Amino acid sequence: MTRRATLVATAVSLLLILAIYFGSRMLRDFDSALIPYAVATVFLAFGVAYRYTVWVSAPGARRLFTKGWGSLFSAENFRKAPTALPKMIATYLGFQKFLGARSHARWAAHQLIFWGCILAAAITFPLTWGWFTFTSSTGSGPGYEMRIWGFKVLGYDSSSLIGWLMFHGLDVAAVLVIPGASYFLYRRMKDRGAMTGQRFAYDLVPLIALIVISVTGLLLTFSSIFLHGGGYEFLALLHMVSVVFTLIYIPFGKFFHIVQRPAAVGMQLFKYTARQKDEVFHCRRCNTPIDTAPYVENLEATMRDLKLDFAEWAEYCPRCKRELRGNAYLSHVKKGFK
Amino acid sequence: MMGKTIFIDPGRCIGCQACVSACRECDSHRGKSMIHLDYTDPGQSVASLPTVCMHCEDPIAPCAEVCPAEAILITADGVVQQADTTRCIGCANCVNACPFGVPKIDLEAKLQMKCNLCYDRTAYGLAPMCATVCPTGALFYGTLEELQAERPGVQVADSFAFGDVMVSTGVAMVVPADKVQWPVPGGLPVVEVNGVDVR
Repeated sequence: MTRRATLVATAVSLLLILAIYFGSRMLRDFDSALIPYAVATVFLAFGVAYRYTVWVSAPGARRLFTKGWGSLFSAENFRKAPTALPKMIATYLGFQKFLGARSHARWAAHQLIFWGCILAAAITFPLTWGWFTFTSSTGSGPGYEMRIWGFKVLGYDSSSLIGWLMFHGLDVAAVLVIPGASYFLYRRMKDRGAMTGQRFAYDLVPLIALIVISVTGLLLTFSSIFLHGGGYEFLALLHMVSVVFTLIYIPFGKFFHIVQRPAAVGMQLFKYTARQKDEVFHCRRCNTPIDTAPYVENLEATMRDLKLDFAEWAEYCPRCKRELRGNAYLSHVKKGFK
Repeated sequence: MMGKTIFIDPGRCIGCQACVSACRECDSHRGKSMIHLDYTDPGQSVASLPTVCMHCEDPIAPCAEVCPAEAILITADGVVQQADTTRCIGCANCVNACPFGVPKIDLEAKLQMKCNLCYDRTAYGLAPMCATVCPTGALFYGTLEELQAERPGVQVADSFAFGDVMVSTGVAMVVPADKVQWPVPGGLPVVEVNGVDVR
């Protein structure tokens, strides 16, 4: 498995290097000042691909992964419910309705972090790869052109609102991330539920990293506007170190949920398509619906893969399992519970 | 079996639900009770069975094994934690694979929750909420030695039979002395006529 993961990760990293090379028009548009960031993204690609391969090789994930993609690529499913997938992606991955069911405050804070990070990633990744360029046809402006892979996609005036947003997109992202991450950090220090079993490297480091990146990023703007560039080099270095560290940390810690979470959409689609066909599995003892029949079948197969040889037990609802165990104890172990 | 753990004695349980109420007060799942109290033969018997997570040791935590999102962590002290909120995708694999019927799921929140042996308390040497309030000692928290000092001659079992499979657990059950050498029956029905369970 390790060999397979290494091969996949190497292939993905090489593909990214090629994409950087060709996307930056043979490095013509590549900004050498951003080399550390670009190198970190290659490491990130390796780490994510490696961890992802190992993850989807485990029986539980592998089977749901196959079923999820199978549901996605089923023409029959698409014909029956063409809007199901986009709706799930929007409500689940985009607006994260399920987090609202856990706590409204956590939902709001997570939305701030999520959209801030999406914005930051959409700006910085293509920039560090040399895919985006901003050039002025009139020397020092104010007319600017944004080009992707060398093709002009947008022309704007740098003094306009669009121009301001283009140059301050990362500041906007930082302003979104800081309150969100601060709330979670506060919660990690105050909420006894959240503190139960929390680990510094897993639970606190990601939040601290997000705040450091955002604050140093904002300070760079502050330095250039108010301090005439005072301390800029040091801040740029600090910002770069924090970003590079965070990118490399993604595959190993809490941030890996960003990569894992879309699997939930596959799982939901798998269950949704079975429910459309009324394929519901009922408890063999009390007839309570357990889940969809293909899901129970998939779980039993997973259990057999794992040598958990009581797979048929999954055909009983949790309550019946407990009651049957209680009855067995009552009749075989302690008669009448005496 | 862990050093300090819960010992369940269904023979002492009077079904008062004090454990259910106390469990709701646990900081890691405030407002939601994770302990189950089932009346095994309602209408015929007053027998009741409290069920906490048994913290399976061998095979180690089937709930964690079937989890597709690597969301269930087992701490070094053998406690099977409830799902990591960041990772859990709410697929219910753990709910349906658990041979003891322990994990609960909130489908709207896409989150599994289960007894974590009141980790916010036990990690600091305090007894879990359920064992703290149980008026009859049906739920006892401590070491086996402590249990036997309080109840001389008591015997416990920490293995359960599900069909041909034996599951060893971190939490143990009180059993009569003559039953110690056998695993406690897990209740898996095996009597079938034309594929229908007739027990």
